[in-house]
Amino acid sequence: MYGTGVTWATVRFATGNGGQRRLEQRAIHPRGMRIALPATREVYVSRLQVEHLYKVFGPRPEEAVQRLEAGADKDELRAGGETAAVIDASFEVAEGEIFVVMGLSGSGKSTLLRTLNGLLPPTAGAVHYDGRDLTELDAPELRHVRAHGISMVFQHFALFPHRTVVDNAAYGLEVQGVPKPEREERATEALRLTGLEGWENSWPDELSGGMQQRVGLARALATDADVLLMDEAFSALDPLIRREMQEQLLELQRTLRKTIVFITHDPHEAVRLGDRIAVMRDGRIVQNGTVEDLLLRPADDYVASFMADVDRSAVLEGHHDEAEVTARA
Amino acid sequence: MPRLPLGSWAESTVTFLRDHFSGLFDVISSIVSGMYDALDSVLTGPQPLLLAGILAVIALWLRGPVAAVLAFAGFALIDSIQQWHQAMDTLSLVLVATVVTLVVALPLGVWAARNRTVSAVLRPVLDLMQTMPAFVYLIPGIFFFGVGVVPGVIACIVFALAPGVRMTELGIRQVDDELVEAAEAFGTGPGKTLLRVQLPLALPTIMAGVNQVIMLGLSMVVVAGMVGSGGLGQSVFTAISQVDVGLGFEGGVSVVILAMYLDRMTGALGGRVTAVGRRAAAALPRRAGTRVLAYRPQASVAVVGVVVLGLVAGGMSVFAGGTADAQVSGKDNVGKGRTVNMGYIPWDEGVASTFLWQEVLKERGFKPNVTQYDVGALYTGMSTGKIDFETDSWLPTTHASYWAKYRNSLEDLGSWYGPTSLELSVPSYVKGVNSLADLKGRGGEFKGRIIGIEPGAGEMKLLNDKVLSAYGLKGEYKVVAGSTATMLAQLDRSIKAKEPVVVTLWSPHWAYDTYDLKKLADPQHAWGSGDGVHTLAHKGFASQEPQVAKWLKSFHLTEKQLTSLESAVQKAGQGHEQQGVHAWLQEHPGIVDTLAPVGS
Ligand SMILES: Nc1ncnc2c1ncn2[C@@H]1O[C@H](COP(=O)(O)OP(=O)(O)OP(=O)(O)O)[C@@H](O)[C@H]1O
Ligand SMILES: [Mg+2]
Repeated sequence: MYGTGVTWATVRFATGNGGQRRLEQRAIHPRGMRIALPATREVYVSRLQVEHLYKVFGPRPEEAVQRLEAGADKDELRAGGETAAVIDASFEVAEGEIFVVMGLSGSGKSTLLRTLNGLLPPTAGAVHYDGRDLTELDAPELRHVRAHGISMVFQHFALFPHRTVVDNAAYGLEVQGVPKPEREERATEALRLTGLEGWENSWPDELSGGMQQRVGLARALATDADVLLMDEAFSALDPLIRREMQEQLLELQRTLRKTIVFITHDPHEAVRLGDRIAVMRDGRIVQNGTVEDLLLRPADDYVASFMADVDRSAVLEGHHDEAEVTARA
Repeated sequence: MPRLPLGSWAESTVTFLRDHFSGLFDVISSIVSGMYDALDSVLTGPQPLLLAGILAVIALWLRGPVAAVLAFAGFALIDSIQQWHQAMDTLSLVLVATVVTLVVALPLGVWAARNRTVSAVLRPVLDLMQTMPAFVYLIPGIFFFGVGVVPGVIACIVFALAPGVRMTELGIRQVDDELVEAAEAFGTGPGKTLLRVQLPLALPTIMAGVNQVIMLGLSMVVVAGMVGSGGLGQSVFTAISQVDVGLGFEGGVSVVILAMYLDRMTGALGGRVTAVGRRAAAALPRRAGTRVLAYRPQASVAVVGVVVLGLVAGGMSVFAGGTADAQVSGKDNVGKGRTVNMGYIPWDEGVASTFLWQEVLKERGFKPNVTQYDVGALYTGMSTGKIDFETDSWLPTTHASYWAKYRNSLEDLGSWYGPTSLELSVPSYVKGVNSLADLKGRGGEFKGRIIGIEPGAGEMKLLNDKVLSAYGLKGEYKVVAGSTATMLAQLDRSIKAKEPVVVTLWSPHWAYDTYDLKKLADPQHAWGSGDGVHTLAHKGFASQEPQVAKWLKSFHLTEKQLTSLESAVQKAGQGHEQQGVHAWLQEHPGIVDTLAPVGS
């Protein structure tokens, strides 16, 4: 029904260092949509592309967008009862990358994430998934994308209290219509990956917050969707487990090559996981770049103070290879 | 302020509906009464104690041994106070009303939960349904559905619909938005989200709604009893209209037992069907000492128990059904098993004459049904043909308004007793008050009150419209409307306390035998001349049953006959009127042939 999902409009020529690194990664992706052009250059497809996206809550959101475009700021709108949660956000997420969105509480991260799978329709602007505007999909198409293409981990877990752990993890597969024995097997496997072996038949409220969060993770992993939207997916975990889960995610990423949008308010986590990091403040993306960009060339004081207590030597050390690549490019 | 003709709009709407949608109402009526008959025959079929056993097994399954024992004891009590049949009628009525209510309420609740506009429109409608006094729509309801079980069920539905819809809506709205979002995020469509997430999570609230629906339905049974729905409602209604405290209590206790059983069982069922409840049950710590008390049979065991008992019960009722009624033979068998429906209002001469005719018609091979009604319901029911005839219309005065309204669809079969009289009466210890004129200027003594009866009674209209003004009592006295029962209770209380009291009464009435009362003279003839007690029938009845109509036309009782019949019925007691009539017939040999001559 969805063809290859490649639209020429979204095929972009790889430029710069980041692109090259990603190309190498994609080369081992079994389903990589790598397209060789006759020349020596290769192209890659951006899985998600966000263009001038606005999301305003309130009685007259469209009007609010016009005022924002005319230069009004968030506080002016608030006086009129409108909340501008996301303002003029544009970015792309490439195949196989971990794109981190970082920002303080209330800066609009969750709202932004919810527009990426159409849970919230944008007030203005567009979200393209594999080149198709989400708002132009009809209801069954959108459901198909959500069931097979994009899965989501919720900030507050959103586990179904009336289903056991394994039934929660198998939910997406149930929607896909996978027969019961197979979906239980796959859900159990996903639970094993997230370290919840043996808890299959428990109920969500018998689990600690961190364990519940891992059930949410297993539910998202079980569907085999290759775009993952993760909203502070590790926030409820204790430092040890969190560290372990981060390692595991990177490990998974080495084999499964998912495309991940990862929300966090923890700069350490952002630096550890992110190929690229977007920093949000009051609904706007103030900087979008690599770890080095953020550390070495912060766009403003806000970003700088965010990154202040990150151990830069360790990070830059870890990215040394890449720096070399950059240098050679 | 200009007078807004709201009432006449309502009336023309009712007329319009009746004229144009009678087919629809007939269909609804036959579906509801079909459900009721089926369920009622299942519930009244088996031996009471066997069915009590079945109900106890259900209690065992849902709540454990203690509940089972209590349930059995409760139902055994109902049986022993001879309210079993009525209780089962009521149970059927409430269950049918509940099922219909839920069939309507659940989809409406779901719709309201998903659509703010629907919710906003439904809210005032539901408020209206729940707060509008039942009689306001019940009497028009009879136009549509006739008297009997159906308007009773409708009344329960109208009353109980609101909590059903509200709790469903509330339950669904209460479900965490993020869970609905999660379902959507994995590609679930709206319908599946409802089935997989919203309804299961709303179920505890919805079950609380079901419980409410049943309880409110039960609370309407007495009102339903007034429009001929039978059951415990009728026991209670009859009892209160005759100040029979004992029977009222028995009927009331039976309602309470039913209510408690249904309440506890639906509560426990809620626990069984909701996932959260199942988990709570599974997690219940099993302490050694209470293990027996905590025993719950598996659903399968419970079903087997119910089925076995049900089969035994079914078998027994088949054998019990073997004893047929004594056959009426030869020329006496005029009716050949045809049914005749009689209605009555709980006035003594009405009760006595109705049960007399029930006996007479039985001896002539008819199958007479007798049902008690509220007076408005009686006339409406008769005009629609659901009731064939009744014997207690006071004409030309007391029931004049009903006669005026329904005369086109009714036929007067003549007066069988008279004249009667209407009057105000005071206890004879009230000195110096012998005529209506004497009341003037003594309002303080009577606290300015005249104790009246049902506001719809013809006597009340006459009193308010004519009698008070004829004697200049308007303003000084206020007529307190209530019921015959409250009037009699107040009379009794005042007499015990030797207080002055003036009540609305009529002759013949047993109160004149029981108390020492003075009828106040009416020199201006404001009450009019005395009424005759008439027999009225539905218009087509005389051509349908010419022989019965002929008997009724020549029906007459002397004062001696009537009072002796009334006292025989009174002596036999509530619920045993037939035995009273039997006894009376025995003392008056040959009277059946006088009342219903054959072969002439
Ligand atoms: N459904 C809604 N209706 C109105 N306002 C909303 C809604 N959802 C979010 N908001 C507002 O949008 C802004 C951004 O909220 P959002 O949840 O996206 O923040 P966040 O960055 O995820 O914060 P946190 O780190 O605390 O999760 C907040 O001011 C919030 O009040
Ligand atoms: Mg958030």
